[in-house]
Amino acid sequence: MQAPVLQVEGLQVHFRTDLGVIPAVRGLSYTLPKGKVVAVVGESGSGKTVQALSILNLLPPSARVESGKILYQGKNLLTLRPKALRQIRGRKIAMIFQDPGASLNPVLTIGEQLCETLCAHQKISKQTARLRAAKLLSQVGIQEAEKRLNEYPFQFSGGMCQRVMIAMALALHPDILIADEPTTALDVTVQAQILKLIKDLQRQNAMSVLFITHNLAVAAQVADEVLVLYAGQCMEQAPAVDLFKNPLHPYTQGLLNSLASVRQKVEKLPAIAGNPPRPGEVLLGCPFALRCPKALKKCFESCPPIYENGARRTRCFLQEGK
Amino acid sequence: MPAIQVKNLCKTYVRRPFLGAKVEKPVLTGIDLTLQSGQVLGLVGESGCGKSTLCKVLLGIEPITSGSVEIFGENISGLSRTSWKELRRKMQVIYQDPYASLDPRFSVYQLLSEPLQIHGLYPNKSERKKYLRELLTAVQLDPVILDRYPHEFSGGQRQRIAIARALALKPQILIADEPVSALDVSVQAQILNLLKTIQRERKLSVLFVTHDFAVARFLCDEIAVMQQGKIVEQGPAEQIFEHPQHGYTQKLLSAVPSVEAAL
Ligand SMILES: Nc1ncnc2c1ncn2[C@@H]1O[C@H](COP(=O)(O)OP(=O)(O)OP(=O)(O)O)[C@@H](O)[C@H]1O
Ligand SMILES: Nc1ncnc2c1ncn2[C@@H]1O[C@H](COP(=O)(O)OP(=O)(O)O)[C@@H](O)[C@H]1O
Ligand code: SF4
Ligand SMILES: [Mg+2]
Ligand SMILES: [Mg+2]
Repeated sequence: MQAPVLQVEGLQVHFRTDLGVIPAVRGLSYTLPKGKVVAVVGESGSGKTVQALSILNLLPPSARVESGKILYQGKNLLTLRPKALRQIRGRKIAMIFQDPGASLNPVLTIGEQLCETLCAHQKISKQTARLRAAKLLSQVGIQEAEKRLNEYPFQFSGGMCQRVMIAMALALHPDILIADEPTTALDVTVQAQILKLIKDLQRQNAMSVLFITHNLAVAAQVADEVLVLYAGQCMEQAPAVDLFKNPLHPYTQGLLNSLASVRQKVEKLPAIAGNPPRPGEVLLGCPFALRCPKALKKCFESCPPIYENGARRTRCFLQEGK
Repeated sequence: MPAIQVKNLCKTYVRRPFLGAKVEKPVLTGIDLTLQSGQVLGLVGESGCGKSTLCKVLLGIEPITSGSVEIFGENISGLSRTSWKELRRKMQVIYQDPYASLDPRFSVYQLLSEPLQIHGLYPNKSERKKYLRELLTAVQLDPVILDRYPHEFSGGQRQRIAIARALALKPQILIADEPVSALDVSVQAQILNLLKTIQRERKLSVLFVTHDFAVARFLCDEIAVMQQGKIVEQGPAEQIFEHPQHGYTQKLLSAVPSVEAAL
């Protein structure tokens, strides 16, 4: 297996709220192999965003990392000094978010914002920065880039704003791109373009991508590996093809079964019963036990560990001894 | 007779700024659409193309600019208030976000009673309770929840309550504007199954708005594809999926991500 570029170990993140402590990430471990796209999938509230924000210490003040390590180039990002982390943030590890419009400054032109990013990290002249900015824009597929640099975000569509965000993220040739639902706010045709763009750039630049999405079909489209989160824990991590062809975890199996298909009409969808746990709900045993059609008695008593088998990791008692 | 018949419908939003000339924004530009009685018509199209605006016009929330809308053969323009109220009773709506659409101050009992009160139905309290319990059972919720409040429920459970509320007046038409897109992935299938069951049992005519083609294929008999305020293609679902005629439909379908296609 490829050496990992990022390694998350036993990450635990809690929120302190009026309703008490909410464990958002509950002992998460996974690796991001170098040059690969890992899709993080899971439902709303499963901890996808919180675990990603932990990597760059971008958590809101009410959140606290209780324990765990996030290793990058031999260093634990969670204990790094602010100055050292700033060197890494943006330059080595870049992040883009769901709502591209909200991430851009409405009163600065696209060119000014791109140049600002470039100049903040490198000693280059304004002119060089502008040339580089234009090149970046055309690299992410924006026509007449030179002219477009003078325009403001409101003159760009949602898809174009997301391209600008990607251009900014790529400006400094990061090792890792973290993309949190980068296409969720976009239409399918634009989504298809952005997914292709991320894939192409990842291949060209040998970049590693952590791609967060709640959409399994999108994950199937972009990912080399998939990490399935549920209630703040990893249920299953596996190479994408294995996971989609032969899911091992009952939750992954249930999700894939329940998807409607564009290819054929079915009479009834095999739905998963019940509801995902609510934030702060106390979970004894396997977090999926109440909804799991295969649950055993012990599933309600203790939480299964992760069982490793080749390239696959599965948190389910049924994998014991396999 | 079709449940809904829309002919050459146009809708232009007009904004009159404090200073300066009024701004006109044409959003629906000549819509022709037919929802056959007892069928599910899927309205698909990209964000901002005008799907929700069309729903608002059908529900009488926004006035028509030009063209006509007939509901069970009755033209909705120029109806008296009482006739509109009667007609509107036959046509109910479910929205995308069950968190926003249920007032948190009201108990489930109050939420479900409100439409009945407006129309003076089930005035007898014990009969009303009995009816509401039946309704909750129909949407597969435990009837004991009548005294509880929306915040106690998950997104999927709230959407069931919203569906129960929409069914309270025994409508013939249901307008559903993206009813599963705000729900957790693992509960979407439950709600889609429920909608299908209820549609069949009650022989409802449904206008189902979605941007998700897979969901449309599961639920719809007919599909109408909307692009920038116009319907570019309407036909039986099977035909739209297997032999899309319009270039725009083809483009949308080929961009839909799917697990099968990726493997
Ligand atoms: N600011 C906050 N205060 C309190 N709890 C929070 C806060 N942000 C997130 N949480 C909680 O942390 C958990 C994980 O949230 P997170 O945003 O990581 O989910 P997600 O998987 O990204 O969901 P989505 O698909 O909706 O983006 C949830 O239980 C959520 O309610
Ligand atoms: N009240 C309003 N005033 C002005 N423009 C509006 C209003 N509501 C919607 N629009 C505009 O009309 C277009 C269609 O919107 P909408 O019907 O909500 O689209 P959809 O539901 O298909 O995403 C969009 O450009 C939107 O910005
Ligand atoms: S550990 Fe038990 S409850 Fe959990 S997924 Fe496996 S079989 Fe189901
Ligand atoms: Mg998130
Ligand atoms: Mg809408």
